Amino acid sequence: MKKILTVVMACLLMCLAFAGCGSNADSDMEYVKDKGTLVVGITDFAPMDYKETKDSTEWIGFDADMAKLFAEKLGVEVEFVEINWDNKALELEGKSIDCVWNGMTLREDVLAAMDCSQPYCNNAQVVIVPAAEADKYKTAEDCKDLQFAVEAGSAGEDMAKEFNFKYTPVVDQATTLTEVKSGTCDAAIIDSLMAGAMVGEGTGYADLTYTVGLNSEEYGVGFRKGSDLVAELNAFFDECLANGKMMEIASEYGVQAAIITK
Amino acid sequence: MTFAEQFPIVFDALNVGFVQTLKLFAVTLLGALPLGLIISFGSMSRFKPLCGAVKTFVWIIRGTPLMLQLLIIYYLPGLAFGNPIWGSGESGRFVASAVAFIINYACYFSEIYRSGIQGVPVGQQEAGQVLGMSKKQIFFKVTLMQMVKRIVPPMANEIITLVKDTSLARIIALQEVIWAGQAFLKGSQGIAGQLWPLFFTGVYYLAFSGILTILFNKVEKKLSYFKI
Repeated sequence: MKKILTVVMACLLMCLAFAGCGSNADSDMEYVKDKGTLVVGITDFAPMDYKETKDSTEWIGFDADMAKLFAEKLGVEVEFVEINWDNKALELEGKSIDCVWNGMTLREDVLAAMDCSQPYCNNAQVVIVPAAEADKYKTAEDCKDLQFAVEAGSAGEDMAKEFNFKYTPVVDQATTLTEVKSGTCDAAIIDSLMAGAMVGEGTGYADLTYTVGLNSEEYGVGFRKGSDLVAELNAFFDECLANGKMMEIASEYGVQAAIITK
Repeated sequence: MTFAEQFPIVFDALNVGFVQTLKLFAVTLLGALPLGLIISFGSMSRFKPLCGAVKTFVWIIRGTPLMLQLLIIYYLPGLAFGNPIWGSGESGRFVASAVAFIINYACYFSEIYRSGIQGVPVGQQEAGQVLGMSKKQIFFKVTLMQMVKRIVPPMANEIITLVKDTSLARIIALQEVIWAGQAFLKGSQGIAGQLWPLFFTGVYYLAFSGILTILFNKVEKKLSYFKI
């Protein structure tokens, strides 16, 4: 029995070792070109990656359109795959996607888990409070006594820590708004692009609004560690900035003010 | 957008999600019902190494969260061997979910089968021997028939749990009904920040488990002949 176990373990280890070698030796760009598709990991996130109507099959948005152009430059097809955002690093390393291109904030955990492009778009973390009380909370100082809801592991949570706010981490940004609406928390911290889409008139959170901007942050595209696609994308971004293509697409989706032009 | 305008969009999206839920449910049952029987034979085997191996396997599967098993089955081939066998698209995610669910539920079913088989009195098998039936005949015509009767209530319990457990598959981004409902929280198809679609998914689960409950009651009644 022991012998069999040892043999099995040895086989497993060898498989792992060889698999490791195989994937490291090849260039990631060659890998993508060989299979002929760039698989882009996204979530449904207007205005970056979304579908116009329920019947459309095509993903559009600032990130989606840029990804299509980048794939075209590589000479491969583009495929958008909706992922569970918590598992983005797993999806990359497991090769079920080739990049994360979905308004991803360049935070420490992201930078540690993947190799990222240069930042291409600005964003900010903002405080969400009930609209009726918005006048009372104009600065970060005013918010000191509030009980916050933040997305666990998000840039919002980093801000709550930095400002020494009392906070409860919850599962995602949408849930933080539910917490405020239901009164279980006084305020939430989410990013401004999302706040623009989710609170105020015509949304389910019409009685909430955003006030204080806490910081600014930047969006980037994530690739597998050691991928040579990072340099390729950076060159592509520079090229699109120079020929005005990036601004053209950004204006189409109303994010031109946030684009980083250097 | 008013509720009346939102409803058809949300309803369509939830229906698409619920079809995935039903597909996963059906495929899991189709795979797990027979596989469970095979596993139960293994765990009742008199060949000690086989019996031990099967029991260890059942212990591992029943002793770890299904959510973890989903993550391992979907991501491990790509992570450990650089070979993402399931593919990136929705269909690959569905197959991986189905494999995880079938293995998980087969282990639970196997224990229910075992209780059903071992619960049939030995006298029944002896009676079969006296009548000159072969071992195979005794199992299929005497034991199995009586086992089916006994296991209907616990199986119904497990199957109704399965209806709701399918929602776990969204951890690997299978777009089932809860995923579809949650999409309207963060914004999809022009509807953002809406909570009600998520809560509305409960209606689907309730209706479907209601149908199953009625079905199992009927089956139980039908099988209640020779009740002592």
